[in-house]
Amino acid sequence: MNKSFLALLLILSFGITSNSEKVIARQGQVSFFSYTSVENIKAENNQVYSIINLQEGTIAVDMLMNAFVFEKALMREHFNESYIESDIYPKATFQGKIIDFDTNAQGTQIKMIKGAFKMHGVSKDIEIKTKIENNNGSYTLSGVFETFVKDYNINIPPLLAGNIAKSIAVNFKFEYQPYEN
Amino acid sequence: MKIKKIVIACLLLLGGVHISTAQDDLLDILNNEQEDATYVPPAFKMTRVAFGHSTEIRSKGVLELFTATRFWNFPGDRSQSFAADKMTTRIALEYGVSDRLSFGIGGTTFDGLFDSYLKYKLTSQEKGEKAAPFNITLLQAGSYNSSSGSVYSGLSGDFSDRLAFTSQVLVSRKMSSKFSLQLAPTFVHKPLGVSNQDNKNFFALGFGARYKLGPHLSIVSEYYRTFNPIESFDTYDPFAIGVNWELGDILIQLMLTNTRNMVEDTFITQTTNNFNFKDPNLHFGFNATYVFHLKNKLKK
Repeated sequence: MNKSFLALLLILSFGITSNSEKVIARQGQVSFFSYTSVENIKAENNQVYSIINLQEGTIAVDMLMNAFVFEKALMREHFNESYIESDIYPKATFQGKIIDFDTNAQGTQIKMIKGAFKMHGVSKDIEIKTKIENNNGSYTLSGVFETFVKDYNINIPPLLAGNIAKSIAVNFKFEYQPYEN
Repeated sequence: MKIKKIVIACLLLLGGVHISTAQDDLLDILNNEQEDATYVPPAFKMTRVAFGHSTEIRSKGVLELFTATRFWNFPGDRSQSFAADKMTTRIALEYGVSDRLSFGIGGTTFDGLFDSYLKYKLTSQEKGEKAAPFNITLLQAGSYNSSSGSVYSGLSGDFSDRLAFTSQVLVSRKMSSKFSLQLAPTFVHKPLGVSNQDNKNFFALGFGARYKLGPHLSIVSEYYRTFNPIESFDTYDPFAIGVNWELGDILIQLMLTNTRNMVEDTFITQTTNNFNFKDPNLHFGFNATYVFHLKNKLKK
């Protein structure tokens, strides 16, 4: 009785992490938009990394800030140097958990992701609604969320307050493939 | 039994630790997968440090309208001029042919100089072992002096005598996230035509620096040391100290300087005032850049 209990514990404690199945996205797309009456700003990053641990429903995202491409070349320089300071904070990361993630359900499911988004040296707990598509074990996650510039210690000079929206819409889309160590 | 309990407790603890670190593991995996951040923001944001060129060039499809103005006063207590006694303006256009090559043309009111240049970015500074540690930009500039009889006179009617050429190797490095430094070995060919004894070829070394005070504000300073100045009249090395204000499509520089010339070959060879705060040596300078983006960088 005790021995089998021990064996069960062993399997439980080590099995979870060593056998866990992961899927990874290496060319995830993240774009953000700032809409104001003066100017619309759009930027795209098509080299975002994301990984999901299917057993636990945990998810992580890692992106290089300088990989964002803008409509205007000079905006990219301003973004990297004056706003996001990507030489000091080169990356933005997210780690969290997909709530009630059903890995076996085929087709589309809408779930919430809770986790911490870290950008410009500031970590903030956020909740994101996401659409998960499962097509025979290949997962696609997409969604939109709003984020506030001032939450991340990013200063907009008063003169440009009309050009940059206080709330930025972030779009994301990740297509996952099986991850092998 | 006791031992077993301890073992079970240990295993439970281990399991707990495993689960709690699982999230960090995911980020670690991504950290290993993702390439290292090698990006270093440009050492200078404007294509000029103060009066001379910086290593920065404009990206492909970017048109820059550049105006530079210098104001100065004549010596003497009383002057009836409005604001300043004298001024000179250089208006120029610079266009990014590619992300590495840009082309510029300009004209200056005071000395009647028309100039043109090609600027080619050889390397960009990046982080990492194999990355280039410096920004290196090559500049080739030429100018035509259209003035009829200038303060320096002696200009013959020959077209070739009115031409001057400047070649520069601009080397800069962002030393920290705030401080950038630039060195600029320079060769100038300029027949001044004042005296036959004067040399026509000049060697100079430029020093430029930028210090970021805030996200949009920085101070800049620039100095050119001329190694073989002309002898027929006294010249001094040009110096400037200024403030950059970098906002959106508009970039503004305010500066104090001792040179009223804005083209390399003239400020290196013909700066006739030393830097001090007395008229007419003190020049107030104002550079303004407006950037037009003629090409959308996003794929539609």
